Amino acid sequence: MAAGILTRVSQALRGPRLVGAVLSGHGHTLSTAAAAAKPPAAPIDDTGETKILNFPLTQPDFFRLSELYTIKDLFEARVHLGHKKGCRHRLMEPYLFGSRLDVDILDLDQTAEHLQRALNFTAHVAYRGGIILFISRRRQFGHLVETTARECGEYAHTRYWQGGLLTNAPVQYSPGVRLPDLIIFLSTLNNVFQPHVGIRDAAKMNIPTIGVVDSNCNPSLITYPVPGNDDTPATMEMYCRLFKMTINRAKDKRRQMELLRGISASV
Amino acid sequence: MASLCKVMRNMSARYTLLPKPRVFTTLKSPYSSEVSGSTGEDAGTDDKSAERVKSGFATAYELHSDLQQQQQKGDRSASVRLSSRDETSFISLLRHSPLMQMGPAKDKIVMGKIFHIVNDDLYIDFGGKFNCVCKRPSVDGEKYQRGSRVRLRLEDLELTSRFLGATTDTTLLEADATLLGLLESRDAKPKE
Repeated sequence: MAAGILTRVSQALRGPRLVGAVLSGHGHTLSTAAAAAKPPAAPIDDTGETKILNFPLTQPDFFRLSELYTIKDLFEARVHLGHKKGCRHRLMEPYLFGSRLDVDILDLDQTAEHLQRALNFTAHVAYRGGIILFISRRRQFGHLVETTARECGEYAHTRYWQGGLLTNAPVQYSPGVRLPDLIIFLSTLNNVFQPHVGIRDAAKMNIPTIGVVDSNCNPSLITYPVPGNDDTPATMEMYCRLFKMTINRAKDKRRQMELLRGISASV
Repeated sequence: MASLCKVMRNMSARYTLLPKPRVFTTLKSPYSSEVSGSTGEDAGTDDKSAERVKSGFATAYELHSDLQQQQQKGDRSASVRLSSRDETSFISLLRHSPLMQMGPAKDKIVMGKIFHIVNDDLYIDFGGKFNCVCKRPSVDGEKYQRGSRVRLRLEDLELTSRFLGATTDTTLLEADATLLGLLESRDAKPKE
C-alpha cells in the first residue's frame, strides 16, 4: 500500500538517456561521449521523428492551453484565497496581491501566468511520452487525485512517502526502474505542515516539479510553482480538471501527429 | 433661438479669456479653454446647449477621465485604475466580491450548503476558503441532509493561533460558525 504506483518499465528506456548516463559514469571526454551517444542506427524516417518532436517547441502555445481557463474561472474557484497573515511564508510575499482583514489574497494575474507555464510544460512532457506523477498528501482529496491520474493514464502517489522512493529506487524497486519525468504536487505540504519530502528528492534526482503553493508553503525548490489555494474542494477539482485536460490534449495531439506522419510516409 | 446662440457664443468667448469662478463652470474651468477650442467652430451652440442640459459634474467627470486615459496610457497606476473599471479583471472581481464587501467576518449572517455528513457533524460550505463543521441541532434534526441550505452566523474565516515557541500560526483548516437554522425561503425545489 505504501509503495505507491511507480511501475518498472525496463524495456521502455529511451536510448540516449541510458547511454548518456552510462558514458558519463565512465569519465570519457564529453566530445567522444556525444559522438558515441548519437542514435546508432539512424532510421530512414528519422527526420519525421525529429520534426514531430521539435516542431511543438517552436510555438509559444502549441496546445492552445490559454483557452482552458480564464481569470474569472480561477476567481470563482476561489484560487486567490490564502491563509491568515500569521501563517504566511516569507517567500510567498511576491505572489501576494495583499491582505484583507488578516486574510492573504494571492495575485491572480501572476497565478494565471504561472499556471500557463506549468500547463504548457505538462503538455510538452506528455506529448513526448513522459511519465507524470501526481502527489498530494491531503487526505480529503486523495481519491480525487487518484481518479484524475487514472483518467489521464498517468500515476499518483497519495500515501505515506517512504524515504528512498526516488533516491533509492534501484534498491527499493529493482535495477533499471524508470523514474517519473515530471512530478505535480497538488499540495506541497504533508500532514504536519512541513514541505513534502518529494520536493527535495525530485530536485536531487533532477526531476522537474510543478507545485500548487499556498500562502503558507515554500516555493523555493519547485521548478514551476503555481501560487494558489490548495484547501478548497472546488479549487482542487479545477486543478485536477485542468491537468487532466492538458495531458489528454497533448497525448491526442501526439497520436494525431504520428498518424499524419504515417500517412505522409506511406504516400 | 438666434439671440440665444449669440448670447451663448459671447459667454463662451468670455470664458476663454477670463475663466470666472462661477458655480456652473467651477469644475470645468481648467478645461474650458479646451472645450471651446474643440467645439468652437462646429456646432458650438448645440454642444453648449447639450452640456447645459447635462449637469456640470457629469461632463467634467467624462472630460477628466478621457484626459486621464490619454495622459497616463503607459502608467502602471492608470492600468490599475482602468482595470478596476474593467469588469472581468481580477482587481474588479475582487473588489466587488461578497467576501470583500462583507468586511470583518464576525457576526455576519451567510448562507451555506451541507456537503458532507458524519453522524451528527455537518460539514457546511459557505463560499469561503474553508468549510465549517456544526453539530446537528436537536430541532428538525433529520431535515439536515446533504445539499440542504442553511443559515450561519460566522465567527471566523479560519481558526488560527500562534502558540508559544512557534514561528508560524497553527491552523485548524476550518472556519467557525454557528448554525442558525434552515434557509427559510420555501423554493418548492426538491433537495438533491
